[in-house]
Amino acid sequence: MTMADNYNKVLIIGGGPTTLGSENELDAAAFEKVIAFKKMGTKVLYLDNNPFSVVADEIQAANVFFQTINLENIINIITKEHPDAILFSVAGLLGQKLALQLYQSGILESEHVAIIGNSLTTFQTVADSDRLRQLLTDWNEPVIASRTVASDDDAVEFVREIGFPVIVKPLSTDHDTSRIICFNMDDLEAALQYSFDQTYIKRCSIEQSIVGFKEIEMVGIRDVDGNKILVTGLENMDPIGIHSGDSIIFAPTQTLINEEYQRLRTATFKIMDALNITGSCHIQFAQSRTDSDYFVTKISPYFTRNTALATKATAYPIAYVSTFLEVGHPLAEVRLPSKYSHIKPLLEPTLDHILVKIPLWPFEDIPDADQHLDTVMKSVGSTIGIGRTVEEAIIKAMHSSQFSPRDILPSVQNIDDDDVINQLIHPLASRILILIEALRRGFSIDDLAELTKIDQFYFYKLKQLIFAQTFVQTNPLTAESIKMGHQYGFGDGMLAELWNTSIQTVEKLNQDNNVQVTYKEVESSAGEFIENTNIFYSSYELENESQPFETDSALVIGRGGNQLGPNAAADYYTSQVLIQLHKSGYKTIVLNNNPNAVSMSPQLSDKQYIEPIQLGNILNIIRLERPKVIVLPGNRHYLAKNLKQRDELNIIVLPPDQKDAQLIRPEITNAVDYFIDGNVILPITTISYSVTSYKRNQRYNTNYQQPMNQFTQYGQKLIAEGRKQLTGGHWQGLVQVLFEETTPGNFKFAGIRPIRITETAFLTKATGINWVRVLVKKNLGNLDLVRLAELLSHTEPKRFAIMNGIFPFEALHARNHQGSSKQEVGASLQFKNIDQQKKE
Amino acid sequence: MPTTRYLILEDGTSYTGQAFGSLATTTGEIITNSTMNGYQEIITNQVHHNQIIVFTQPSIGNTGLDQNAYESILPSAKGVVVREYENLATDHLKRISLDRYLKQHGIPGIYGIDTRQLRHHLQNQGTMKASIVDVDDEHAFDQLSATVLTNQQVAQVATPKPYPNPGEGDNVIVVDFGLKHGILRELSKRKCNVTVVPWDTSSEQIMDFDPDGVVLSTGPGSPNSLPESVLHMIKAIESQVPLMAIGLGHQLFGLANGARILPLDVEHHGSNHPIKEIITNEIFYADQEQGYEIDKKSINHKQLLITYLDVMNGTIQGLRHRDFPAFSVEFLPDGAPGPKDRVDLFDDFIEMMAVRRRNDNG
Repeated sequence: MTMADNYNKVLIIGGGPTTLGSENELDAAAFEKVIAFKKMGTKVLYLDNNPFSVVADEIQAANVFFQTINLENIINIITKEHPDAILFSVAGLLGQKLALQLYQSGILESEHVAIIGNSLTTFQTVADSDRLRQLLTDWNEPVIASRTVASDDDAVEFVREIGFPVIVKPLSTDHDTSRIICFNMDDLEAALQYSFDQTYIKRCSIEQSIVGFKEIEMVGIRDVDGNKILVTGLENMDPIGIHSGDSIIFAPTQTLINEEYQRLRTATFKIMDALNITGSCHIQFAQSRTDSDYFVTKISPYFTRNTALATKATAYPIAYVSTFLEVGHPLAEVRLPSKYSHIKPLLEPTLDHILVKIPLWPFEDIPDADQHLDTVMKSVGSTIGIGRTVEEAIIKAMHSSQFSPRDILPSVQNIDDDDVINQLIHPLASRILILIEALRRGFSIDDLAELTKIDQFYFYKLKQLIFAQTFVQTNPLTAESIKMGHQYGFGDGMLAELWNTSIQTVEKLNQDNNVQVTYKEVESSAGEFIENTNIFYSSYELENESQPFETDSALVIGRGGNQLGPNAAADYYTSQVLIQLHKSGYKTIVLNNNPNAVSMSPQLSDKQYIEPIQLGNILNIIRLERPKVIVLPGNRHYLAKNLKQRDELNIIVLPPDQKDAQLIRPEITNAVDYFIDGNVILPITTISYSVTSYKRNQRYNTNYQQPMNQFTQYGQKLIAEGRKQLTGGHWQGLVQVLFEETTPGNFKFAGIRPIRITETAFLTKATGINWVRVLVKKNLGNLDLVRLAELLSHTEPKRFAIMNGIFPFEALHARNHQGSSKQEVGASLQFKNIDQQKKE
Repeated sequence: MPTTRYLILEDGTSYTGQAFGSLATTTGEIITNSTMNGYQEIITNQVHHNQIIVFTQPSIGNTGLDQNAYESILPSAKGVVVREYENLATDHLKRISLDRYLKQHGIPGIYGIDTRQLRHHLQNQGTMKASIVDVDDEHAFDQLSATVLTNQQVAQVATPKPYPNPGEGDNVIVVDFGLKHGILRELSKRKCNVTVVPWDTSSEQIMDFDPDGVVLSTGPGSPNSLPESVLHMIKAIESQVPLMAIGLGHQLFGLANGARILPLDVEHHGSNHPIKEIITNEIFYADQEQGYEIDKKSINHKQLLITYLDVMNGTIQGLRHRDFPAFSVEFLPDGAPGPKDRVDLFDDFIEMMAVRRRNDNG
């Protein structure tokens, strides 16, 4: 047995700004890792430039480096701070590349720094696809046949060997090129002609096509002694050909027989052993539908989006446990957080619930993007539904997704049969609705399975849902319908919509029929051990496992799946609300359904509900928990309005509604931020919005700088002017007074508004004062205003904080966008010395 | 519309559900199984003779049943309890649906049960009798408590006559106590020339086959309810040829070598428990179908070596004889269902037979 390394000081490389393909899951994982390192007594340094990082707030400011994640900055930190070791496993794919570069730079030896987790060989092998392919072949693990060819003859010869269908791709070093699928010789000739025209290096790649195979994913962990567990298998409903990030995913696997499942489990373990993995590893497979063949398609020996999903499915704390494994502790000796009373890290998760993930796409905000689902990921977020039946889980995930802003089973009806068939073959983001619509129109399940390469099982399930919906609709307001509806995951809000009645009527009907929701715990022993993970989902069964807290509790209603706009910031905001409520003595309860949200980290709340964020579901939770306070982060008018109607509830909406904003001029260049409590108006700082002219319109203000340009010259003047505007007004909390600099030095008052979520996060990072927590304290009535004023007096600006919005246009091949704040996918943060900027 | 039926327990609890499979009234011992894949292998495993199986995996039947995955030809489970069942036969293998299969074999099923609550209940109350019935009245409960489940389980499921499963390799005798086919499959893969013999075959009869090795199979019920003659057979065989014992066979091997058998408070059926190999500290997973354990205190350490332990409940998962090439495992290494992490134990057995041959020839 190997001794664990005992590090005093570790540098964690963060996940960087949120973008297409990575939300907050890396920050959530890093959060767990920081807790694990604290437990080991290790000091943590953190490098990240994501302004919405919760981790950054959990570490002493002096140990957080808000810099671009690149080799140069890492080397700088190494030479200045002398960490013992560096952790890359929560830095995504970029982290893998950087780790390899760092190994090659030679600095690890000269500075006596270690890389935690996988060895140089592992990094090298995984990074080099040819080498990996060769090794997998040596280990008798099947990989897709692939060859680079320089002529038509080469190509034809290779295709004779491997058979059709094949995929032809022109090789070029500068950009991503198209992949053409060929089913016969004619296709191949055409594809080769096109591809050789496209490639200036005169090389094409030919690979065996596995389009239409099942995509199965396995997440495992392994310790340095080779002990491992399979945390869970995940099954993509959508076939290979649609990126896993754009696929509807089920946990556990639904349509594999034991033999197939065990073969993939064995392969996963074999690969983890061969690569000598420590920590977590996520492996993707293509499983044939016609025989038992499979191929290994991707190996990710680091924390990924679907590692996060595996954690949500099992409640197994993968990121936390892996940290110990990465530094060399044996799996058997890892102690789980205190919530796990009986479950040991070695107990292989076994589930008695079903989780479904449905992706969210940004096409409403970027309508000109190519909306076809293919091998390039286009979704920006996802929602999960957990249920005791497959239908229940599907409905909950759909319910939570963008298709249903209202409480109703969404549908597409206004398209003709040809379009339906076309979309079955070439799926768009509305994929699942088309499947349902096709079933409604009487397409046979055999035909549908053939057209879509989706297992028949899923069509049977969707058919059940249609049956249940029809039953509920044709038997309104009956006990049978309630039962059927609940059985299949239709919440009370949805039943009310289907019956065109109020939710109160449904609540009454529940009462009359003695129907009560039950909550089941998400834990990894399928009920063998009594646990306290305190993560719950609803079902309508016999036993309710969620007991209300005996002391005062607070419910925070999370934001749900990530979409474009301020969602990453909102998740940060939600997390901070939870932290402060807990500090203020409340038992905290969070409702959310975003598998990648930091606010879903088990350590951030006392209880979690993974449920649709809909009125009916919220009211059920409130009825059970009777929270003293309910916090609703972000502008959600429908929920706010409906909850506020219930007088007995104490609702705090943070920040206050943007509808209250008074905008006088549309173009904004500057702002002064204030905190107002009663009659006290405390100026915080000045802000410059970005530079380019079209960005002046407040809709496009996505670049921020604190303090404003030339603040020594104009700052005090604007602060005084702003105070005048605010005096005698009704404004409370975080408020900003807006200005437009019409000509140099000439500032016109442009309006007043509550500070938005994104800017609140920025302000927190810029000033070092956690403004979300200040707001929560103010609303709870326990804010120490004197102390705040004193803190503010020490925030003399020494550096510029600069935050720039990031947009997904390039990834989505969408052009000609100015980038409104509604189209932001994330943001990056940096600091510059004030002198430094003057020189620039 | 589905038929409403009831699952009633010996302690007076009644659950309302809907019928699938056979509509017969049934009584058996109720246990939960938490293995997530392989409902077909579980239902057809003879270890579940006289048992009503509660699946914790909530969606059962998703792929139907196929010819390649039966663990017995005539299943002897008494009932199947699920949250949700799928009446599908969809995969590329020639399949029939779970509903049709259960009807064919007269096994009742009941769905719509809060299996998670039921499992919590059984974890607390222990294993007990249960029935699936049409009416949950006093009469049904009386019937249930009056029913005495047989302890002649092995005699009811094991083959009454020997039969061959020919191969070109080692001559292996499998003593059938309620054999699961996974054992035969693994021996076939290793080209063994197998003869399956009834559970009450004597050691002389077995030795007359001139075996290279003997396997004591899995099976249902308590090892204590088998006659002494079985233990004599094991004692006689283990000193003569390599022996591999699995499940009930493992318990009998312990018993034959002087150990005591204790019933578990709650039977454990699942493949989630870590099992530790003591000599290497290595952890692995395998299906466990365990109602009894070998009392650790009763082990004669001069004769037996404990090789494997269950990390969760501490039960003995493997033994090896110190003097003879004989070993036993409580878990099911064939991976049907469950992980195949220790399927190589069959290779060890083959190797033991090769060693013996070399020694004999040398």
